[in-house]
Amino acid sequence: MDIRIFRIHSKLIELVWPQVISIDILQEQQQVKQFFEKEYADGIREIRVGFNTLSLKLRIEITEEDCRDILEEIHQLPTLISDFASKTWKIPVCYCTEYGKDLEKLVQIHKISLEEIIRLHSEATYTLHFYGFLPGFMYLGGLPEKLHTPRKNSPERAMPGGTVAIGGKQTGIYPAESPGGWHAIGNCPIRLFDISKEVPVIPAIGDKINFEPISKEVFEEIKQFSHQGLYTWHHD
Amino acid sequence: MIKTPAYIHFVQPGLMTTVQDLGRFGMAGYGVPYSGVMDRFSMTQANFLLQNQFYDSVLEMGGPGAKMVFELATRVVFAGADADIYHNDKQVKAGKILDIIEDDVVHIRKFRKGQWLYMGIQGGFETEIVAESRSWYPGITPQFRIEKSDSICYLSEERFYPALGSHAKMNLNWFKHGEIKVFKGPEWEQLPKLLQNRIMKKSFTISTLVNRMAYQLVETIENEVEPILTAAVYPGTVQLTPNGNLIILMRDAQVTGGYPRILHVENNSLNILSQKRPGDKINFSI
Repeated sequence: MDIRIFRIHSKLIELVWPQVISIDILQEQQQVKQFFEKEYADGIREIRVGFNTLSLKLRIEITEEDCRDILEEIHQLPTLISDFASKTWKIPVCYCTEYGKDLEKLVQIHKISLEEIIRLHSEATYTLHFYGFLPGFMYLGGLPEKLHTPRKNSPERAMPGGTVAIGGKQTGIYPAESPGGWHAIGNCPIRLFDISKEVPVIPAIGDKINFEPISKEVFEEIKQFSHQGLYTWHHD
Repeated sequence: MIKTPAYIHFVQPGLMTTVQDLGRFGMAGYGVPYSGVMDRFSMTQANFLLQNQFYDSVLEMGGPGAKMVFELATRVVFAGADADIYHNDKQVKAGKILDIIEDDVVHIRKFRKGQWLYMGIQGGFETEIVAESRSWYPGITPQFRIEKSDSICYLSEERFYPALGSHAKMNLNWFKHGEIKVFKGPEWEQLPKLLQNRIMKKSFTISTLVNRMAYQLVETIENEVEPILTAAVYPGTVQLTPNGNLIILMRDAQVTGGYPRILHVENNSLNILSQKRPGDKINFSI
C-alpha cells in the first residue's frame, strides 16, 4: 500500500493515499479501517473516510514515533486477496426536464442527445466512497467520462431535496434542499436519510449504486410510499 | 423534589438563538455535523455556576434582541459575550444567578463585547434529544432556530433556600487577545515557504461572514495550491480557497471539504476565536 501518515496534533492523524478516486484505494481504506477498529478500538473516537484519506480522531495521545510504528504495522497487513462483500442498490430516478433543470444545458455542452445522457447515467455502476457535505449525501465514484461537467460558476440558492446532479467528475443526490453548484438532471423519490433510525442511511461504504429511470407516475407513487415509510430498498 | 414542565415564551427571538449542548458525535460518518456550543468555555461556566451537569443544554444567542417570558420558577445565569441583560427591567450582570419566578421577563439588549451569549438554566432544557444530543441543526432537530413566539421547555423546581455563590465575578476579557494557536494542516507543506511566513506574520481581520458554520477572514492569500480530493474537515480546520480566502470552520461545519486544509485551530483558541466579532483582529501562532 502506498500510504503516508500526517499528524495534525496528538489526537488527530490522517492516512493519505495517492490523489486518485479508485476502487482499489477504497478497498485498502476499508482493510485499514477494519484493522484499526479491531486492534485499536479503545483508542479511537472516530474514523472518517475521504476519497484518498482516512482521518482518525483519537482518545489517546500519539507521538510522531507512534505514527511511524502504525504505518509499519499497516504495511505488514496481508495483501488483499478477495474483494470486500458489497451490495448493489437500485435507486429510482425520474430523469426529465421538470426535475432536471440543467438537462438541456448538458445536451448543448456535450453535444449528445437527452436520451444518451440518461442512458449513460443510468447504465453506469457507481461506488459509494463515503458520506459527507449534507446528512445522507453519498460521494459516488464511477461517473462516465462523457458526462464529466465543470461545476457552475456560482451555486444555485436552492436545489430541491432529491435532486440528482452532476458536478465535475461526480454525481450525487441532494438528500434535502440545499444550495448547490452541480447540474440537475433528475429527482429521486425515496428518502435517503432518516435520523430517527439508529443507522440513518441504507447503502454502506463500498456498496454499489445503479440508477433506475422511472416515469413521473411511478415517481409520485414511490414518493408517497417513501413518505409513509412503506418503501423497501432493492438490491441484487 | 417535584419538577413541573414549564415553558419559556419568546416575545422576540433575538439573533441566531438556538439550544445547544456539547454536540452530536458518532454521526459524522453519515454526513451529520457535530454542532454544539460555539464557545465551550462559557457554557461550562454557566453550568458550573448553576451546579448543573457539565453537558446540560444552554441557550446560545448570537446578537441582541431576545426577549423571553418564563412560565414558572427556575434559576438562570449568563456567561460569554458582554451584553446588556435585563431581568424585569433591572439590569443584571453575567455570572449572577437570577432567581426567576412566574411571568418574569428577561430581555437581552446591546452586545458590547463578544459574539455569543449563553443562558444556562437549572437542569438544562427539555428539548428533544436527537442522536444523543439536544444541539439544534436544520434537518436533524425539529427546531433549528428560535422564531418569534416559539416556546421551549424546561423543568421548574421550587427551591426554598437562596442560591449558592449567587454572584460570581466574571472576567469578560478572557477572549480579548488576538493570538490563535494553530497546528499545521495536512496541506500546509504545499504552500511555498514565503506564503507560510506571510500567513504566520500577518494580522487577519474577521469578516462579516460569521455564522455557526464558519468564520471567513478579510485578507486574502494569493495561491496556486491545487484543490484536494474531498477529505475530512473539523471545527477548527482552516481552509484556503482558490480565490485566496481563509475560511475557519466552526461547530456546524460540514464533515468533509475539498479546499486545502492549511491549519487547524487548537481547542481553547477555538473558543476565543468564536467570541471574535467582524472587524476584530487575530494572528496565528504555531
